[in-house]
Amino acid sequence: MNYKIYSPQDFPAYLPKLNMLFDDLFSGGKGFRSKLIGFVSEPLSVAHSTQNLLAQTIEFIHNASLLHDDLVDRSHLRRGKKTAWLKYTPEYAVLSGDYLLARVMVNLSHFGNIKLVQYTSEMISDLLEGEWLQDSVVGDYFVTLEQLDRIHNLKTASLFKWCLRAPFIAQENYDKELHFILNEMGSILGQLFQRSDDLLDYDIRNDEGKAVLGDLKSGYLNSFGAFMTSGMTKAQLDHVIKSTTISELYLAFSNNPEAGKKAFTAKVEEFDHINTKLIDLYNHHLENLDKLLKPEQKALIKNLKPLTEVLYWRRKPSA
Amino acid sequence: MPTQYITLKKNDPDFLNHLWGSKESNQRAIPVKTYNLGTEEESVTFELKEISKIQKPSKLKVVASLVKLKSFILILFPLFFVLAKNSVDNRFFDPHSMLLVSIATLLLFAGLNIRNDVYDHISGFDRVNLDSTRKPIRLGWISAHKASRISLWLILASAILVLPVALVQIELPRVIAVALILFFAGRFAKDNSYKNQHFGEFILFMLIGPALVSGYQVALGSGVDTEVLAFGVLWGFAVLYLIQVNNFSHIMTSSQSGIRNSMTKLGFDWSQKFLLIGWVVFIGLWVLFHYFYSSTFWAVFGSLLLIFWSIPMFMKISNIKSPMGSGLQTVRKEAYKTFIMMVFIFFMEILWALWADII
Repeated sequence: MNYKIYSPQDFPAYLPKLNMLFDDLFSGGKGFRSKLIGFVSEPLSVAHSTQNLLAQTIEFIHNASLLHDDLVDRSHLRRGKKTAWLKYTPEYAVLSGDYLLARVMVNLSHFGNIKLVQYTSEMISDLLEGEWLQDSVVGDYFVTLEQLDRIHNLKTASLFKWCLRAPFIAQENYDKELHFILNEMGSILGQLFQRSDDLLDYDIRNDEGKAVLGDLKSGYLNSFGAFMTSGMTKAQLDHVIKSTTISELYLAFSNNPEAGKKAFTAKVEEFDHINTKLIDLYNHHLENLDKLLKPEQKALIKNLKPLTEVLYWRRKPSA
Repeated sequence: MPTQYITLKKNDPDFLNHLWGSKESNQRAIPVKTYNLGTEEESVTFELKEISKIQKPSKLKVVASLVKLKSFILILFPLFFVLAKNSVDNRFFDPHSMLLVSIATLLLFAGLNIRNDVYDHISGFDRVNLDSTRKPIRLGWISAHKASRISLWLILASAILVLPVALVQIELPRVIAVALILFFAGRFAKDNSYKNQHFGEFILFMLIGPALVSGYQVALGSGVDTEVLAFGVLWGFAVLYLIQVNNFSHIMTSSQSGIRNSMTKLGFDWSQKFLLIGWVVFIGLWVLFHYFYSSTFWAVFGSLLLIFWSIPMFMKISNIKSPMGSGLQTVRKEAYKTFIMMVFIFFMEILWALWADII
């Protein structure tokens, strides 16, 4: 599916650099969020044109947030390529992000479901609130996991919630209980995705080879960092902050590298344990969701069940 | 073994049983998530835990957390002030009544602290505004039902103790009546607890300040005077300030949950200014109180010391950048430290006055 173009008016050719910028932007990425739209939409028999609109909406919003995020963080690389603000100009990066968000509203309002427009606008405002708050905790090495969870719930999970709920809203199914459960499941998926992504920074299950300790080096104590450092002495925390490699980080736990590694691994296991409880909570909501679906929609459960494996454990679903 | 959860809606007959823990056998329902708080659609997801597997600290620590032992300074210091003041003034007329009222106040305070936690648990306030304080009910150390029963016994014991004093000191029932009117006005004015509403903030100031010290003084048989009322205003202001700082530390979560108090109404930037100005006003009140009721030495030296010790708090409040980071907790700790320093200066001053009285 081509996520870039929904309507021929989306990206006018007469605007300089706009199409080049978006070609670069949309060529990378796994498109997980749009796939999630498909996982939910197919069992509900949502029309393909609507699925396309929803998939493009979420990709537009996600990519707009990346354009702005990279500029805010002064990141140099995105998906292995030069970031838009560096390759073009910061002004173009801001304007193209705004442009994507505007196109979302144009396309959704053409679709005509005002509740979908309203919910999407709320989601965008949550996303921005999360970005704003995340920026305000950069350099804060005493931030707690609970506080970061609240930020991630706005910044990351809001998109996951949208992916689960939007196909139902597009079908004009506004059942409160159903949306409440989907909202919670989206919130958990977002949290798990973020926490797993944060673990990559500490080289845990880092099969995609993400740069290690990148968050820490840029002054951001991510969710695992906050969990790991809670209860540490100031000297230990100082050591963590100054670490440039994982082996150096182990020494924050003990002067003996082996003992340090063991203590670090124990922390990872503890973190995995609390996330396993979160996965149990997701499965609890999934059982409740099952009771609310019509027989022909039950395939949705089968589609949603393995997502925690994929998002948190970063592995293919077990049989 | 996967963790067991159950989600119940407000209108479910089992909802309150789970929240109160009134029908528990070997499992305790611990709320992990509240949705649509304060609305008809409110529902709570509980984690069902084997009671025997819940990790608890020593009984002493459970009791200390339950009655909020650390906060007892809020009622003990005014008691000390009234005792010392009347000792110096030679107006210590009825020590027996004073003793009974003191014990009754301690019991009442413990009972109300537990009651407050029960209320926060049932209303969901403690699940919205998570903080670092250990809440025994939220952690599953005790059921809300049992905690509520303990609080009722404490309040009842307090009422029984104060009864004979009310017969001897005829002014006391009037003070208690005023306090009760304020208490119930606050309780039923809105559907939130005292710390979450403007009117409640004023009532809390009255109860913990002027009403408390007037009650002590009347129980002693000394009647109310302007000095004790002025102290009540000063003390009430300081306690209210701590509450405002606490509300400030929850400003974002409170705002998102629709809780209305001075901090959420002012917003982050104005609250920051409000807190800075608030403590300047307190220092002003402190100087005035000492100018009228203390020696020049303590008015000057004590005030300078208080200003000096307040500097870190001013700096922490000014430097705070986010409604989400660790800065809010730091401000809260610094405000408590400054409050304790203020009490320490006052305490030394009173000891000085007592010593001067003896020699």
